[in-house]
Amino acid sequence: MLLAAAALTKTYRLGRVDVPALRGVDLTVQRGEFIAITGPSGSGKSTLMHILGCLDTPTSGSYRIDGEDVGTLRGKDLARVRNRKVGFVFQTFNLMPRLTVEENVALPLKYRGGMARPERRKRALALLERLGLSDRVGHRPDELSGGQRQRVAIARALVGEPAILMADEPTGNLDSKAGANVLDTFDELHRMGHTIILVTHDPNVAARAERIVHISDGVVV
Amino acid sequence: MTLLESLLTGLDEARRHWGQTLLSLLGLILGTASIVTVLALFGGQATLTQDYLNEVGGVGTLVLENRDRSVRPRAAELASERLTYRDARILRDRARTLDAVIPGWTRELTYRAGSVGFDGEVVGTVPDYARINDIRTLGGRYLTDLDVERATRVAVLGWKFADSLFGAAPKALGAVVSLGGKAYTVVGVLEREEFRFAPWADNSLEYRNERAYIPITTAVAQHSADDALEFLTVRADPAAGVTRAESEIRSLLFATHGVEDFDIRPSGGGEGEDSGQFLLLFNFIFLVVGVVSMFTGGVVIANILLASVVERVREFGTRMALGATATGIFAQVIAEVLVVTVIGGVSGLALGTGLTGIVGYVMQIPAVVTPGVATIAIGTSLAVGVVAGIYPAIRAARLSPVEALRYG
Ligand SMILES: Nc1ncnc2c1ncn2[C@@H]1O[C@H](COP(=O)(O)OP(=O)(O)OP(=O)(O)O)[C@@H](O)[C@H]1O
Ligand SMILES: [Mg+2]
Repeated sequence: MLLAAAALTKTYRLGRVDVPALRGVDLTVQRGEFIAITGPSGSGKSTLMHILGCLDTPTSGSYRIDGEDVGTLRGKDLARVRNRKVGFVFQTFNLMPRLTVEENVALPLKYRGGMARPERRKRALALLERLGLSDRVGHRPDELSGGQRQRVAIARALVGEPAILMADEPTGNLDSKAGANVLDTFDELHRMGHTIILVTHDPNVAARAERIVHISDGVVV
Repeated sequence: MTLLESLLTGLDEARRHWGQTLLSLLGLILGTASIVTVLALFGGQATLTQDYLNEVGGVGTLVLENRDRSVRPRAAELASERLTYRDARILRDRARTLDAVIPGWTRELTYRAGSVGFDGEVVGTVPDYARINDIRTLGGRYLTDLDVERATRVAVLGWKFADSLFGAAPKALGAVVSLGGKAYTVVGVLEREEFRFAPWADNSLEYRNERAYIPITTAVAQHSADDALEFLTVRADPAAGVTRAESEIRSLLFATHGVEDFDIRPSGGGEGEDSGQFLLLFNFIFLVVGVVSMFTGGVVIANILLASVVERVREFGTRMALGATATGIFAQVIAEVLVVTVIGGVSGLALGTGLTGIVGYVMQIPAVVTPGVATIAIGTSLAVGVVAGIYPAIRAARLSPVEALRYG
């Protein structure tokens, strides 16, 4: 089992009011699975995804990636897990506007440390080639289309060879054609053996996954 | 990522968004330049003040003057003889904190030599007056102890009066001048004295060129009914200090006056009073401008740095999502701040030095950027930058990736 979350809760505190965003989520993911998390707006999809991606910590519950208990990790250790185990793709791409495509993709390797620049470059270029972006390596993000930007972001998420690729509404900011293109990329990555979790509220997008996890009001239904 | 790499990332970032960096730089450069200029001008002004004070006796020189009588004086006040030559002798003989005691007697008397005549100031005093006030003779000598002891009828003329009375200052030596109807032998003529706070300002020492000095004893005997003085100048022994000197003077004179009917003030405020006041005001304005510009400079720099960080907090969130640690983010921001503040500080110093030269030249005041001024300016810009940079850096580094990604 690659990923195992049990009884995850997350409660946001707004002033004196507690907002329960997750109310006991259990989820297991096998290596090589392609999972879609769906649910209505405000149901807790992003909250769950942030915890799974180690961008946030749960209020309670346990969470293991690759056998390592990451639910209790903090600070530097969490940064290491984010860097090595998880590749995160955002709805808004979140590329560094002043770095080139190649530099953006190589960034996780830079944060990992211990890898010389030529090697980082080589890996970034290899991934960009795989995603059909070889002719864009020296460009800045604002010179690319939305679909191209998201594929650069996917390349960046994959460059560190993470255990799992996570994407929160990766097609949310794309038109249907670019969106379809990005989804094809996910399909292909899945075929190549990557483990993928994707958040979407679009049933058509969810339909492309092997398994659909439906969330409503902070619990899996 | 190592610390060095984080720092390099920061430097790289500073270079890549150079538009923003330039803006921060501009704030820093202008702030630092204004601090440098103001401090240098202020320093020049302070040097000038020091020079003037040295001319009129130096620090530690005090002037005693009669206080205005009360509207309804008490008996003790009426009984007091006020400041007298006797007070001067008492202070000279008994005070242990004083290095010099100079009685000052002044009168408007008629000067006459041959066909030339006019009214002017005559000062009765002692030889120490020349020592304290740095008075130099053009020819002849100043008053001597013997003159005071014997109450001789000798006069030392200021440069301008000597010039007016005898056509040329050196010609006065050995001649006879009538002061208030009494004949005096001119035994000395003084150098022309000049001190200007600015080229357009009046000569603050002109009063010294327009007077004659005679022995205090002669003045009292020839031109007075009593031995009342107009002022009494003393210099505190540096070992004793001004404060102790003041209290000793007060207690010694209280014993003879029975009432405190005199004021003690530092020298340099009364004589050439206008210049003194002007100077005080000038210094005050400069001080206010300096403090205000340091403050605004600091606020501007802090604001620009803060704004540039807030704008990029989401970016930090992304970097953390990719594996950046809080320390790494912190180091990156600090590196950016350091680049900006060091370059800004040094350029500001250069610009400020240029400005100081121009302003100093235009206003004709001696202004120099001393190493001290440079240190303060660079130090301020660094301090402001680090304080303004560390706060946003800590703020950015303490956010969780999600918080940073949601920011703004
Ligand atoms: N930082 C926060 N502070 C307070 N409440 C929050 C915060 N983030 C999320 N919430 C609340 O938690 C609940 C779940 O939010 P979440 O963003 O996970 O929903 P979602 O399923 O991703 O919705 P959407 O489809 O609109 O993106 C919502 O009620 C939301 O208002
Ligand atoms: Mg969401």
